[in-house]
Amino acid sequence: MVATAPWCDELAAKLGQRVDSMQLLPGGASKEAWAVEADGERLLIRRALAGVIHEGTLSLENEFQVLEAAIEAGVKVPRPVAYLGELGGREAFAMELVEGETIGRRIVRDPPEGLEVELAEELAKIHAIPLERLPFLRSGDVIGRFEDELDSVGDPRPAIEYGLWWLREHRPEPVADVVSHGDFRIGNVVVSKRGLEYILDWEFAHLSDPREDVAWPLVRAWRFGADDRRLGGVGDVGPYLERYEELSGRAMSERDLEWWEVLGNVKWAIGCLTQCRRHLTGLDRSIEYAVLGRMAAEMEYELLDLIEHA
Amino acid sequence: MPDRPNALELIEAVTEFLSSEVLPAAADHRLKFRTLVALNALGIAYRELESSDDLVIGQEELGELARRIRAGDVDEDLHARLKEHVAAKLRVSNPAYLERHD
Repeated sequence: MVATAPWCDELAAKLGQRVDSMQLLPGGASKEAWAVEADGERLLIRRALAGVIHEGTLSLENEFQVLEAAIEAGVKVPRPVAYLGELGGREAFAMELVEGETIGRRIVRDPPEGLEVELAEELAKIHAIPLERLPFLRSGDVIGRFEDELDSVGDPRPAIEYGLWWLREHRPEPVADVVSHGDFRIGNVVVSKRGLEYILDWEFAHLSDPREDVAWPLVRAWRFGADDRRLGGVGDVGPYLERYEELSGRAMSERDLEWWEVLGNVKWAIGCLTQCRRHLTGLDRSIEYAVLGRMAAEMEYELLDLIEHA
Repeated sequence: MPDRPNALELIEAVTEFLSSEVLPAAADHRLKFRTLVALNALGIAYRELESSDDLVIGQEELGELARRIRAGDVDEDLHARLKEHVAAKLRVSNPAYLERHD
């Protein structure tokens, strides 16, 4: 879609650059994304959508600050360029527009060698960001939040309830909170032939037990069909955990992550249901959201299977 | 009885149209992907209409069961029953997932 937004001049003024072209990119449930060329520089403008408030996501100002902290910490992220304040009445920021593969199904078909180790390296760097660097990040009772989200969907789901019950019954000893990415998995990273290029999608950043992030890419849904490579469909869990321990000093076994893998499946099952609601309520009609409602059963099956073998 | 084509036959016709005409002509990745998602949705609808299986846990019991589990009232047989219930749902929504998983 080639289009010029009515706030094009405002953008040029705020950037102090001439805007040569702009194009609205497809997708994006809570934010819009524009590819912009400004004085020969390729930028991505992330801008809020009207009427969309996602619980548990950061404001664009805070997301921009997280990107700044991440790049300072040496994490591979697209360069944050400028927080723009309101652009055409809605919050926005500019960052470097990057290229490379993000589609999970394509990445797992032929993953670059050592990708699992590179993922561990980035995660260890993220988890080393000092908490006081990002004082607005919050932690919270994740199980309680899931219960509330499930209640807001309004459909009784005994299998998900069973997962939540098991999680309450088997809570592990807590580990001190770290700055967590919140959606660290294949699908939210940019990969090239050289390997891991960038970590994207920071809007769910929060404070949490580090195992929440470490276990999230193990969730079967994020293996994109390459089920036998348990780490995101791209590699084995062993080397990933070893590298993470080398850099972070936090030793974890696959067994330590079981509880978190169940949690991840509960989270994504509920995520599917809440996204499907966007379609069913008419907020955001989309065949993709619609089908997610029927996909939740896959996570239900997986969580019951994980619990059976735990 | 409705006139023919009945609902299943209409779903088949749309499925054939999407896969033989729309999909090959889909120019960009996104349209192609969304067409595949649409085909998947039609497959679910087809299997649901075709299926004569009753769900292991009936609609009227789901709410009560969910409330009981939330309250911590969980018995030994529940896990197996839930797994059977979810497997029955998957035979409609994604039978290939179930086969791959087991």
